[in-house]
Amino acid sequence: MKSRYEAAKNVFIDSIDIDDYIELESSVTAYKQLKHSMDKPLKMILLFGRPGTGKSILLNRIHEKLKHQKEIHYFDTPPINEKEFFHKLFKVLTKQDLPNNTEVNFSALVDFCKNLRGKREIIILLDEAQMYGPEMMEKIRLLSDSRSVKFVVSLHKTDDEDLIAKEHFQSRIWEVIELKNATKEDQTTYIHKKLLKKNLFEIANSIKDKNMKYIHTYTKGNYRECNKLLFTIFEICEYYDTNEPSKINYEQMPQRIIEMAALKLGYIHV
Amino acid sequence: MYDIKPLEEEWKKYKKKKRKPWFVLIFSIFFILLISFTFLNYEEIDFLKFNDQNKVSVVANQAKTVLIDKPLVTLETKKPKVNAVSQKTETKPMIVISENDSMEIVEDLPIAENDKAIKETSVKIKTVETVEKPRKKMHLNIIESTSVSAYKDVERRFKQSHDADDSLFLAKNYYDKKNYKKAEYWALQTNKVNGNIEESWLIFVKSKVKLGRKNEAIHILTNYIKKSNSAAAKNLLNKIKEGTL
Repeated sequence: MKSRYEAAKNVFIDSIDIDDYIELESSVTAYKQLKHSMDKPLKMILLFGRPGTGKSILLNRIHEKLKHQKEIHYFDTPPINEKEFFHKLFKVLTKQDLPNNTEVNFSALVDFCKNLRGKREIIILLDEAQMYGPEMMEKIRLLSDSRSVKFVVSLHKTDDEDLIAKEHFQSRIWEVIELKNATKEDQTTYIHKKLLKKNLFEIANSIKDKNMKYIHTYTKGNYRECNKLLFTIFEICEYYDTNEPSKINYEQMPQRIIEMAALKLGYIHV
Repeated sequence: MYDIKPLEEEWKKYKKKKRKPWFVLIFSIFFILLISFTFLNYEEIDFLKFNDQNKVSVVANQAKTVLIDKPLVTLETKKPKVNAVSQKTETKPMIVISENDSMEIVEDLPIAENDKAIKETSVKIKTVETVEKPRKKMHLNIIESTSVSAYKDVERRFKQSHDADDSLFLAKNYYDKKNYKKAEYWALQTNKVNGNIEESWLIFVKSKVKLGRKNEAIHILTNYIKKSNSAAAKNLLNKIKEGTL
């Protein structure tokens, strides 16, 4: 017999699947802010925040929502090299595949973009932009100067490698949207909504406010960490449910299990 | 999930570690409370006992009842402390009252008031004679002790209660220990509280003789004999005159 916790566990598999998107107050605000910025005649928009704050899923969602209204393209992972990136960009801009054994001439591509001005407005969503080199970023900037291609750049907020700090980049970014870790209330809503989406009412009710407080403390409100922790919690619950049911309280999530999961993931130490 | 058992063990260790500061804190609080309670309790009990004794003696003094067993009571309550010390000091006295100690008290001693005190006491003697009160018989259970603290306790108690038994006890003991200045002082204190205690008069006079104030002693003793017609006093007067004291 399948454990009731198996389904709960699978709810928290980390993904950027648009079906897993949970509308929270903060995410709705970020979505509206991004959409509003995209409507403005800006060349580049920066979306930044710590890993796991929902940047990718936000880009994904905006792509899904607007793909039928606007010419919008989502570049999820950075290409291995510059050549491949321009191949991809060529295909988006010209709507044609690049002939075999040919390379994109960058200046020709810039000219092409300039010609598109006023005719088309292309939005390109660049995820994980911290992986693009400075040279490539400079070329992206030159393309955005054509005013026919708008870039939404999403990058991690890191201490040592902060692209915003780079002068050439800073001066060209017109709008900055920062995504932050969830508050306790937002995280509670996030967990409940995720479980309720899969009709796991009993399990959702078994996670009490006190449990949420600990979950928020351990994960610091980070969605990715939250997914990891809840996956582990339900993994432990699944084991107990199948092998030692006496060790689990179905009415209320035992604090012990949350602490065990936190220990396993290294949030707390012996 | 295959590593549940090691994880459970790890969790137990974690819990233990987490509770440790609380245990330490609770234990510390308990320990501090225990220490302070023990200390306060001892002080309090000691103080209460002391107060109770004072009450008993003060009430007894006011009622002018015969103080036969009271000294026993007051001294018996102190007995364990004094005994404990005396047992230890039987073979070798630990503390010997030094001359310096006696000097301290003598400094406080109002020499100028001596005559005044004598006058006062002689007045008291007169009143005693007219009333013809039965003389009190004193039975003091005096415990040999070299402990300074034991005397200090009695002195402190006297200052609160003004019990003639206490001052007489001190006068006798100091006299026995040849500390005549203190003996004289405490005999005078006894006379101030109760001028009818013959023993106290005799110690007072004997101390004066020992301190070299023979004439003064004879004068006081003669006055006392006139009032009391005491055989013991007459005997003492003869001894003083003969110089055989």
